[in-house]
Amino acid sequence: MSKELYTSDGAKYWRETLSEHIIPEWRKNVDEFEADIALKKMGKIDFKLFAETRLRMGAYGQRYDNGHRYDGKVVRQIPFPEEFKGPDTYWDAPGMQRIKLPWGGLNAEQMELFADLAEEYSDGICHITTRQAIQLHYIHIENCPSMYRRLAALGITTREACGNAVRNVSADPMAGISPADVFDVTPYANAVFEFLLGHPDAQDFGRKFKIALSGNKDEAAGLVNIHDLGLIAKIKDGKRGFEFYVGGGLGAVPYAAHLFSDFVTEDEILPLAQAVCRVYARLGEKKKRHRARIKFLVADMGFENFRDTVIAERAKLTPDPRWSDYLKNIDRFQEKPSRPAGSGIAKTGNAEFDFWVKTNVKPQAQAGYAGVIVTLPLGDITSNQMRELADIVRKYIPDTVRTVVEQNLLLRWVSENDLPALYADLKAIGLNLPGAESILDVTACPGTDTCKLGVSSSRGLAGELRKQLAEKSTHLDEAVRKLRIKVSGCFNSCSHHHIADIGFYGISRNVGGYVVPHFQMVLGGQFTHNGGTFGIGVGGIASKAVPAVVEKITGMYANSRQPDENFHDWVDRTGKATIMQSVQDVMEVPAYEKDKSYYVDWGDVREYSVKDKGIGECAGEVVTLTDFGLKAADRELFEGQLRYEAGDIVSAGARAYQAMVFAAQALLKLNDVDISGNPDVVMERFTKEFFDTGLFNDPFAGPKFAQYYFQGHTHRGVGLDKEKTSLFLHESQLFVEAAHSCYARMSMAGTSTTAA
Amino acid sequence: MINLQNIQWKIHLAEGATPNPHEWFKSFGTWIPDSPEVFVDVADYSHVEDGPVIFLSGHNVAYSLDGAGRRLGLLYERRQPADGSNAEKLLESFTSTLQHAALLEADASFTAKPDFVAGDIKFIVNNRGIAPNNDETFATLKPELEKLFDKVYGPNAYTLTRDQDKRQRFTVHVKANTWVSVNAALKSLA
Repeated sequence: MSKELYTSDGAKYWRETLSEHIIPEWRKNVDEFEADIALKKMGKIDFKLFAETRLRMGAYGQRYDNGHRYDGKVVRQIPFPEEFKGPDTYWDAPGMQRIKLPWGGLNAEQMELFADLAEEYSDGICHITTRQAIQLHYIHIENCPSMYRRLAALGITTREACGNAVRNVSADPMAGISPADVFDVTPYANAVFEFLLGHPDAQDFGRKFKIALSGNKDEAAGLVNIHDLGLIAKIKDGKRGFEFYVGGGLGAVPYAAHLFSDFVTEDEILPLAQAVCRVYARLGEKKKRHRARIKFLVADMGFENFRDTVIAERAKLTPDPRWSDYLKNIDRFQEKPSRPAGSGIAKTGNAEFDFWVKTNVKPQAQAGYAGVIVTLPLGDITSNQMRELADIVRKYIPDTVRTVVEQNLLLRWVSENDLPALYADLKAIGLNLPGAESILDVTACPGTDTCKLGVSSSRGLAGELRKQLAEKSTHLDEAVRKLRIKVSGCFNSCSHHHIADIGFYGISRNVGGYVVPHFQMVLGGQFTHNGGTFGIGVGGIASKAVPAVVEKITGMYANSRQPDENFHDWVDRTGKATIMQSVQDVMEVPAYEKDKSYYVDWGDVREYSVKDKGIGECAGEVVTLTDFGLKAADRELFEGQLRYEAGDIVSAGARAYQAMVFAAQALLKLNDVDISGNPDVVMERFTKEFFDTGLFNDPFAGPKFAQYYFQGHTHRGVGLDKEKTSLFLHESQLFVEAAHSCYARMSMAGTSTTAA
Repeated sequence: MINLQNIQWKIHLAEGATPNPHEWFKSFGTWIPDSPEVFVDVADYSHVEDGPVIFLSGHNVAYSLDGAGRRLGLLYERRQPADGSNAEKLLESFTSTLQHAALLEADASFTAKPDFVAGDIKFIVNNRGIAPNNDETFATLKPELEKLFDKVYGPNAYTLTRDQDKRQRFTVHVKANTWVSVNAALKSLA
């Protein structure tokens, strides 16, 4: 096959210019991928196989790549040419490219490259993700090889940025400079990345595998608690090592990581991680995607059994010199400042600058230096800004930039004396936004803007919250200012909504025959202590009502908190029922005829749904009964959550199950208003009419939520311990939300009366 | 010889214009079902500076209200390979840019009508692999650009200036000596 077949002039230029500057293994990856593109275009590779290949290189699909787009009135076909790059994914549809940045490390030259790539292949925007990667959107698949070569020439690979593999190895961006750190985990994070990248023992997972490292336990640091595998720095008897955690994860149902060992020596972390990977690859679920993360394997095996299996696996490993070789070069990660140490951060009297210092400047462990957070609204930075920021980096710091999970950039080793000049330079390029790590700095996943899974507009809501909160920023109560808000477009928790003080995830609700964008509110999570506590869903709120609800809740917190009481404790003390009761007046969704704005999501101009034309007046009564039943499910679930918090585990489990029954029964009422409430009857009919027919299947998650109901039906919430009850409450929440979504989908499709 | 691809044209809005991003978002949204072009979606980037403000994603062509270089304007961007001679590609793409600018000027949904300056244009080759930003590329492409703009503005009625910042893409600022409307420019190309 002639290479010219798959080479444009531009692609040819980058291949010829850069190939010799790329690590041979990485060059091979790119060459093979480029050949796969050519073979796919010639019809010699199956599109499913090609899909897995591109995913492993971080090339994702993007919203509307199935060629369908709802324009506010009807779903229209986008007339892409008939060629596919994956199941139901058009070849020419714009896609997203995720680019891994191990431990978030970035230098000025790489920043300039990202600026160039965003201009040439994307839309001029670099988007920082919640796992320290950078994403570019609207990419054409045929531009990917050139992009990969240009990245690889500067030491960046996209390999395993997606797919069932070890994803970006993240670490606390303040690693090594945080006053709280035990030691700098950067060299260890890099070693884990290099060791597991393409490792044969990490190629056969059922799902993705995320790893994080933290330098300390108390801060948010690397958020070890929510990772499949995590390490927290520790010194024991004068020796460096780590607390070793396994089995955490957010997703739809959050699991806290288990402490596997309270001390693993630095030369033992790689073999132990390898053993974990081997056990996960061998015993982890492969067919049922929704049970395939390692957290489910740990739960299914039992933690002790899992640990014993890993330890036995570790004992069988053939020694690999790489396990400890990296320790010889650990000094290469030592950072040296480029400017003299400063002499303290004094208030200047310039209110704007002083507020920025208060929110965006973090003193380092090293006297005279500070880490400066460059706040990026919604995680976005333009190509020109990125290029100019690279200039600033060269001027003030030793090329030491890190991406931050809160979608910002951190400049390390800024001399305190340079802060006023740095601020002025950042202001000149529009990157002097204050409010980092505060309620103003709302984190959001891409949501309905570009993600195929998005239900509601997370970026639209986050942007609106940012705008409204920024207007009040200087008057915000100090305790309120410290809160974190995180918004996900769906239940998958890409924004980390479970560990926010106030989290949201996208759902939809049927209101009077219209589908209305909503968010489930999750209260009481904690970002600190490595993402130490998960919040609990308290109720669905119309998207347009969310800002008013946030204002009301934060106002209550400011007014009724006890001295030094944090938000988590305040929520516990006040009670979620009281909090929700107090916001009822701003939660009501006005009728469509009265205020159409509620029926259009934030950041959009299209009506979110159309009136269900398939339902007449008689059917309207049926809808009302379904609404009523779903509301009963919501209420039952909420009661269950309150019982759980009160320590009544038995009642909490039973109510979580009953909520599922109510939700299933509500759907069945669409066809049979006299449906029995007997759980066995409901299960049988639900299985027959909604599961077997595929009606209940989530468009993206498939039968996942129905499986929660099936599992719940076997134990009915009885005999569960505290941890399992907590998980069951989350599963019940997801099932109830899925019932709402199913109802909304059927309403939009006009199939409410054809469920049987 | 450069086989021109990834052509961009930016037609600036009049100095001091303060377009409402929300209105552009709505207007671009109407192009998706109504245009023969394959447009996909609209993205709002009004929260960032010195880059796209509202982006209309498309298969062959994308458009945006663009604020890069801190000058607002309509950006045309060819995203798929184009056939024909360079002269044909330049003419076709520039005409299309002007036509879409005219479409926006005629859009009654804007509170304030967008006011484009068709004599204040940027030409960009959005592909560093085929057109490095240097004098050699300028020398190669200048005659082709002159052929087009002699027709639009008349010989010696404009200047071509290359952006000297080596980190930027190959960019030529085309400035007519007098004010030119979109319709006048279109008429000269008819």
